[in-house]
Amino acid sequence: MELTEAPARRKREREKLFIVDTDVHHGVRGWSDLSPYLPRVYAERLRDHGGAGPSSQYWHNGGNRGTRADFMDLDDPILSTRRQLLDDCEIDIAILTGSTGYGACVMSDMDLGSAICCAFNDYTLEHWVASDDRFRVAMAVNTQDPFGMAKEIDRIGSHPAVIAIILPGGATKPYGNRVYDPIYEACERNRLAVMIHFNGEGVGINGPPTAAGWPSHYVEGRMMRAPVYMAHMASFIFEGAFEKFPGLRVVNVEAGFAWMPWYLWRMDSDWKALRYQVPWVKKPPSEYVREHVRVNTQPIDEPENERDLEPIIEWMQGDQTLLFGSDFPHFDFDDPRGTLTRLPDKLRRRIFGENALETFHKLQPSD
Amino acid sequence: MGRHVICPAGELQPGEVKIVDAEKRSIGIFNIRGKFYALRNTCPHKGAPLCRGIITGLMVSDAPLQMQITRDGEIVRCPWHGWEFDILSGRSVYNPHRMRVKTYDVAVEQMPEEDPTVETFPVQVEEDFIVLYI
Repeated sequence: MELTEAPARRKREREKLFIVDTDVHHGVRGWSDLSPYLPRVYAERLRDHGGAGPSSQYWHNGGNRGTRADFMDLDDPILSTRRQLLDDCEIDIAILTGSTGYGACVMSDMDLGSAICCAFNDYTLEHWVASDDRFRVAMAVNTQDPFGMAKEIDRIGSHPAVIAIILPGGATKPYGNRVYDPIYEACERNRLAVMIHFNGEGVGINGPPTAAGWPSHYVEGRMMRAPVYMAHMASFIFEGAFEKFPGLRVVNVEAGFAWMPWYLWRMDSDWKALRYQVPWVKKPPSEYVREHVRVNTQPIDEPENERDLEPIIEWMQGDQTLLFGSDFPHFDFDDPRGTLTRLPDKLRRRIFGENALETFHKLQPSD
Repeated sequence: MGRHVICPAGELQPGEVKIVDAEKRSIGIFNIRGKFYALRNTCPHKGAPLCRGIITGLMVSDAPLQMQITRDGEIVRCPWHGWEFDILSGRSVYNPHRMRVKTYDVAVEQMPEEDPTVETFPVQVEEDFIVLYI
């Protein structure tokens, strides 16, 4: 028996998936963690008057305050993430997508929001990134402050671990609007991708979370994610952002993906009819998506028969456009060992690693 | 190939379209700045009467958020879903090499006296007529 088992085990080891996890949440244990990195006036304000409030209207979330109830040690989230995610799930590269920056984007005091983003970026590099070379960072950016954030991107964007910026889904204008151009110019200078993560809808300075008004429950809020990304993607395409910024890469995080084929069909169809109103859009929207936009797998879409996902992945050219994300340590975490296990090996390699390596300029092997 | 005398040239003014039935087809004849063009009046998308759409120009752009109209009067926009076609070539704007509508030759000719198809028109023999070739 040993003679037959040993080669099989070696084969499995050789074929271990190279995994890039595009959605690993990190944060601070409290505002005091940020104090050393904040201008004194803001450090004292947060010390004396508390934080800015929730960044999500639907703060009750799931799990244990949104987090897996088995999350090992909240007093040392860095060590817990390294052990419970990176080691146990054999993650090769983990992109830290934050938490603290989202709320900073919806504060009425724009300068405080920007200061929090900058401090959180420094804290992330000095504590999280310094602890483990598997970590990469999607840096926090205050979307209210494009000119200030262009400077922030130039300040730390050349750090080898900083590979993207991350923006919350909730916004006062969708992200293809030219008010954000200074941010994207800075991203191009620093070869950073733009990630968008659901958060901030209906909170702070933002408008209602849906055009249908205010849902009551967290589970309703989860149903409005894909439309938020649809609005941002349409904005990038039809405002001509991808014509202006040919190196721009956008990654939509944590809204699943099964909606993508319908969305691509709809956009191409409507572009044929309404092209004349946006003549700077030179090709079918689905082509811009294939060249510039990626979506991640989390929360994984779960038809009764998992094989039903295969044609959907084919229709959205998921062998190029789909990236794995775990959403660790949140309660709806997708463990890579149990995610999309029925797909062909070649496609799994694309989704779990190769697509991400091609998407992020600073993850490309030649970098 | 059939030859169809349509009407006196003066009946179709620049910027106008005339829709005729010939050989079981509906065909639109356009006068663009004094020159005549003909398209099948059936959109290849959903079969709409294409030639009853808005006659317009080609919207072009040199840079995002900038646009201007060129080729005034040379584009027809289908009345049902807005697909644009070049009246001169029949090619669609969105994919000119793969999506197009059938074009026909149109000529302006003096009516031959013996032509039986024009018996219903009260015309002078020296008048110019629009002639459609299918």
